[in-house]
Amino acid sequence: MKVAVLIKQVPDTTAKVGISNGSMDEAAISKWSISPYDEYALESALALQSGSGATVVAITLGPERASKALVDAAAVGADELLHIVHDGAIGSLSLQKALSKAVTRVGAEIVLAGKQAADTNSGSTGPGVAKALNYACVGLVSGIEGGADGFIATRSTPSGTERVFVKSPCVFAFDKGDSELRRPNVRGIMMAKKKPIEKISLGDLGVDQADGDVAVTSVEYPPEKPPGQTFQGADSASEVAIKLREEANVI
Amino acid sequence: MRTLKGLVLSPSTDIMGYEALDFYDVDSLLTDEERMIRDVVRDWVDESVIPRIENACREGVFLDEWREEIGSMGILGAPLKGYGCPGLSYTAYGVICRELERGDSGIRSFASVQGSLAMYPIWDFGSEEQKEKYLPRMATGELIGCFGLTEPDYGSNPGDMVTKATEDGDSFVLNGAKMWITNGTIADLAVVWAKLDGVIRGFIVEKGDPGFSAPEMKGKHSLKASVTSELVFQDCRIPKDRILPGVKGLRGPFSCLNNARFGISWGAIGSAQACYDSARSYAMSRIQFDHPIAAYQLVQNKLAWMLREITKGQLLAYHLGKKKDSGEWIPEHISLAKMNNVDIALEIARVSRDIHGANGILDEYPVMRHMANLESVKTYEGTHDIHNLILGRHITGIQAFTKGA
Repeated sequence: MKVAVLIKQVPDTTAKVGISNGSMDEAAISKWSISPYDEYALESALALQSGSGATVVAITLGPERASKALVDAAAVGADELLHIVHDGAIGSLSLQKALSKAVTRVGAEIVLAGKQAADTNSGSTGPGVAKALNYACVGLVSGIEGGADGFIATRSTPSGTERVFVKSPCVFAFDKGDSELRRPNVRGIMMAKKKPIEKISLGDLGVDQADGDVAVTSVEYPPEKPPGQTFQGADSASEVAIKLREEANVI
Repeated sequence: MRTLKGLVLSPSTDIMGYEALDFYDVDSLLTDEERMIRDVVRDWVDESVIPRIENACREGVFLDEWREEIGSMGILGAPLKGYGCPGLSYTAYGVICRELERGDSGIRSFASVQGSLAMYPIWDFGSEEQKEKYLPRMATGELIGCFGLTEPDYGSNPGDMVTKATEDGDSFVLNGAKMWITNGTIADLAVVWAKLDGVIRGFIVEKGDPGFSAPEMKGKHSLKASVTSELVFQDCRIPKDRILPGVKGLRGPFSCLNNARFGISWGAIGSAQACYDSARSYAMSRIQFDHPIAAYQLVQNKLAWMLREITKGQLLAYHLGKKKDSGEWIPEHISLAKMNNVDIALEIARVSRDIHGANGILDEYPVMRHMANLESVKTYEGTHDIHNLILGRHITGIQAFTKGA
């Protein structure tokens, strides 16, 4: 069984993100990491690897620097690494086409992805890839178990926990998972160094980037929060209470 | 446990965690693997040390989870090759020490003692059987080691130690006491230096050997999250095959100390970075006289001085790492870096405490803990003064350790 994990390299959630000329200033990002929800997808793939001997193929699409995300995936145990090298923006439809063709290329019937990337938060990749491949899709998954002829996926819903049966081939889009993420160790890091990364282009997959669809037109900072109000002295207590009730509606 | 970090894109600095000062981009000189190892250890410190260290210090304990987690990262005995050891560069070992000590000197001490002082002598001077028996399980943290050299009356002058070993049939019998032994009480084995017919030799003593005990020393104001013990040998009987066959004299313990001191020269930079980071962010947010105190010249002067000293210390440590990796080093090189980097780290901790004002004495901030720790670090593994004397002897050819004779 081959399991493809779609991982995206994003600015680390602790990195400072700045804007220059209407787009994110990539050069100023101090640290890039695997997008957090993708890490849960990877963790589940590795559980399938140790549980049922699945081969885990990590796939990413991005510029040269994105190879580091694959090395990080290899350091925790991904078996094969595929990098679709592409510099600059790409529309979500083209992205989904490219990733789905990459999944077909590696021959994976199970695809795991994060429910959304930490930078764009669009949430379209998992379902979009499922559509392109004509695979079943379960979103907002927190865990999966292999069954006789398919998988049971666990989903948290506002009213409780849902367990969904799905036949393969299928795509799972991961929410924060139930399992603890494994930490790479030194041995894994040294092995990852030796693991080859297959690098291909969009052209190699027969994807024409002009399949133009969705593009970010501008990025700006959120508006500054208005300054808070300050009150002093015991005399202001009643005024504060009134404001809390009538303006903030919290009491 | 790793947790999902906040998924917020924000231009503000309020979600920022620790930012390691690296003004000259010295870490860009590291290999990709060294940087990956740095990130793994740094993340571990963020997730497992920082949230628990103050409580561990209050209770005076080294958490057993730390042993397990450090072991599973595979960083113990970092530069040693074979026998299940990681086989990394000395530079990587330095980076590991720096990241651990950014958390706490006690955590770094645990790893220093395990790797440089307990695993290293077995690896370099042990028999094949000893290496096979101990090293693989020490590399995973399953077995903890300690190192017994210092005695109550012999600190800087270990050559006059009184702990003795005598041969008795199939055994050696040890008598004497060691003091200030990191990991002692929690150790499964101790590498103990004792005189056999007047010559210093290394012996492996295991927990439970008859006549061996390791009571913990209490009441420390420093390295509170590290176990410090006495080792007591009262007719302690060990099998003959526990002697380290490969070394005689002070060269044995001193070669261990060279490696540990090397790690400390990097580790101290981690403490200094933590104190600088805390001072910088405190100074930026603390308002006095209507401005952040970072806007005042006296505070800027202090921060600039910290940045200057840390940058110099980083370059010293990095270059020493390269020398250690190429084999072109003398012990005096290590003395200089250990002495300098601990000295500036301690001073940076004090100045950082000063910038924090009264808040600096609280355990809400890491600075006073680092400061208290570094007082020990300045003294152990060759005191500051002894390292000056080592350099003095190197410069003049005249030893000034002893008087007369």
